[in-house]
Amino acid sequence: MSAALASDSTSYRPTGALDLATALEPYAGPWSARQAAHLARRAGFGGSPADVAHLTAAGMHAAVDGYVRFADASALPSSPAGLLEDRRRPALMPPGGDLVAFRKQIAQAHRADSIALEQWFLDRMIASPAQLQEKMTLFWHGHFTSAYQKGIPAQALVDQNNLFRANALGNIHDLTLAVSQDPAMLRYLDNAQNVKAHPNENYARELMELFTLGIGNYTETDVRESARSFTGWNLDRDFRFVDRPGQHDDGTKTFLGRTGNFTGRDIVAIIFAQPAASRLFADRLLNFFVYSDPEPELVEAVAAQLRANGFVLAPVMATLLRSNVFYSERAYRALVKSPVQFVVGSCQLFGVAASDATMLGALSRMGQRLFYPPDVKGWDGGAAWLNSQTLIARENFASGLMGKMSDGGWLGNAVHTMDPPQVARAVTDTILQGDVSPAAANRLVAYLGGSGEAALGALSGENADERIRGAAYLTMAMPAYQLA
Amino acid sequence: MKRNGFLIGALSGLSVVGSADHFFARALAQTPLGASDDRVLVIVNFQGGNDGLNTVVPYGLPTYYKYRPTLGIAPNDVLRLDATVGLNPALAPLKKMYDAGRVAIVQGVGYPNPDLSHFRSTEIWQTSAPTTYASTGWLGRYLDGAGLPPENLFNAVALADVLPEVLVARTVDVPAIAQLNGYGLASDRRGGVGRDEFHAFAQDAAVPFRSPYLAHVAEIEDHAQRGAEELPQLVAGYTAQATYPATPLGRSLALAAQIVGTKLGTRVLYVQHGSFDTHTTQKATQDRLLAEFAEATAAFYTDLAAHGNDRRVVMATFSEFGRRVAENASRGTDHGTASPLFVIGGAVKGGLYGTQPSLDDLEAGNVKFGTDFRSVYAALIENWLERPSAPIVGGTYTPVPLFA
Repeated sequence: MSAALASDSTSYRPTGALDLATALEPYAGPWSARQAAHLARRAGFGGSPADVAHLTAAGMHAAVDGYVRFADASALPSSPAGLLEDRRRPALMPPGGDLVAFRKQIAQAHRADSIALEQWFLDRMIASPAQLQEKMTLFWHGHFTSAYQKGIPAQALVDQNNLFRANALGNIHDLTLAVSQDPAMLRYLDNAQNVKAHPNENYARELMELFTLGIGNYTETDVRESARSFTGWNLDRDFRFVDRPGQHDDGTKTFLGRTGNFTGRDIVAIIFAQPAASRLFADRLLNFFVYSDPEPELVEAVAAQLRANGFVLAPVMATLLRSNVFYSERAYRALVKSPVQFVVGSCQLFGVAASDATMLGALSRMGQRLFYPPDVKGWDGGAAWLNSQTLIARENFASGLMGKMSDGGWLGNAVHTMDPPQVARAVTDTILQGDVSPAAANRLVAYLGGSGEAALGALSGENADERIRGAAYLTMAMPAYQLA
Repeated sequence: MKRNGFLIGALSGLSVVGSADHFFARALAQTPLGASDDRVLVIVNFQGGNDGLNTVVPYGLPTYYKYRPTLGIAPNDVLRLDATVGLNPALAPLKKMYDAGRVAIVQGVGYPNPDLSHFRSTEIWQTSAPTTYASTGWLGRYLDGAGLPPENLFNAVALADVLPEVLVARTVDVPAIAQLNGYGLASDRRGGVGRDEFHAFAQDAAVPFRSPYLAHVAEIEDHAQRGAEELPQLVAGYTAQATYPATPLGRSLALAAQIVGTKLGTRVLYVQHGSFDTHTTQKATQDRLLAEFAEATAAFYTDLAAHGNDRRVVMATFSEFGRRVAENASRGTDHGTASPLFVIGGAVKGGLYGTQPSLDDLEAGNVKFGTDFRSVYAALIENWLERPSAPIVGGTYTPVPLFA
């Protein structure tokens, strides 16, 4: 970076002190719907009322096991149906064809495939029995970013997404190596153009800056030398990875203090020998799963676990999801739901089994389009998710979702009572595990009983369905529902 | 059943305009806006990459016609500015403003090692950070440091569906409002929920948990609701004194004039126009977009002047890149690099700035930039909005002397 940009250091780290000594020890405190729903929001997207009841009954250890040991999700489609784009893009125009019409056709295929991609991933997140696998896939999608741009065929992004899924809790070192040879990534960060005669530094730079080490842990010389090492890792005509020895710079390179005739494989190995790599992943995981701006001591404690486990993530995530710090009051509702979590979690909560195309527009207005991260550093997240426009988009999504609900079946038996306090309690317990103020709870009772602002008349069999949907909408508008 | 919608249309009973105890009314009564306090910067994004060579046409360079056998604009059609360059004839209304000394044209604006991706180059222009990934926009950083009243929701407004990165700030929440009647909560309320009722729920902060984000969510919620309801009421008293073209840009600039004329304390407005991504059959698309721009801008300044606001408002255009010097086989042009931009307004010292890039010294078929865009930003920040520019544009850049 050439010059410092003005910024302030707003931190959303929770108040209060971290108890480092016990932070990663197993939690042994109370276990109720409150803790179970917290786990469901973090390890998954929130789940259904039945999911939360099941986790509550299972107890903490079994509940975490259920997330970390992925359930069989093979019944879900591993690829969107009916992608239009040829893997070899741009496909050749048929001889004598009309160029303008051909380009239009390509643009239409791109749009259609974009919708198919987004809905495919959304549907997996909504319906997969392996919820943590999908949550991790979303995490990796925002980490090792590639966008549906630059002529990358949709199928290559499906393949990349499945790479994340297959390595969701696997070895991060192996995943990084696989990402370095992933066709979508090779195009997105230009390593496809990185050849001996004309090194392209884009991937080499972002690999260190954003994906593994962070600024300050390497020099410009390291960028150049690693770019030389990645020369020849290109794409073939079928948009597949190819290692072209003839395009590889066979000379000696010096990278992070070591000298040799390195390849990309060596570079990734040297990077993972740096302590900074374990700290970067620990920091990202804590920010995504526990709370924002974690203390450096906590980051180092998780980094040490990553190193001790050879960068295999499953045992580290199991420790984290069982830990005192994870269930501490400091971590409770201490994250802002991403738009994807807001939408997926709402679908799960109200029993919506699959996405529809309107959800894609809603997600875009909320500031998160799957397969279109804003740039190579992914979504900023946290406070940046919320501004006037994105918050209104969330509320309008909630309103639209309630409009589609055919009945209050998601509330279970509570829908059969016409007692406003009971119904209000059922609504807020189901949606927010009771995380509402007494004043809001009273207002909800008044609304349901027809004595709220709009003076609607008493709750009855005739209006209960509409009224309960209104109550759910109001509950989803509460600040707590924006928080994970 | 009775539906108590609380969209704008249902607000007839709510009186905001004319209410003496309203915040804005109070602020205006107490502190008349000084000359440097009521300045407005309007940024117009020419999305998609506008072909600079057919906007400010280098008709005096023979190479231009060699590279543009079908797209070249004939010397006699060009609206001449000097012996080398002239405007695309679609910009006739802008040429009139230029002749009146109110249009500065900065030629050959770009940055080192240009990126030809729409996405990345747009981000570079919006964040003013060509070599790193910044999480705030350059005008967002201006807003963070300008000391504007935090209770004013309308310190800056994006007239767009989605908040553009240029206005992403750390501490200021900028509303994005594509059009007045489309901003706000969906009109079909659930179960007859009342307006105040909804607000009360959405502000529920006395919750049985702590969260470092709770105050932030409640604040944004407050902004979202007040913004959606107050802006239409606030600007309703303004009557346009010009006929705007019935185009999206015309509507945006009409709303911009309303906001400026209502004196809400707004300092920055963002407007978008496009798409200029003319890979095929460029002429029809670009001419239409340039004509729309010139007509809407002329109406905007006519309207502003009629209300005595034309010297308060500077408009600056940008596009993520210009286009390839040589036209392609589809009578279009591919992504390129440097291009000219316009800075317009009653306070602007009109004329040509920078130099027309050479067409005989290209890099991979693209012109080399002569003026770094950050020198233009520095002028807008230092000499118009009157703030130190280095921390905002990311380094020390000599301002282009655009202001008298």
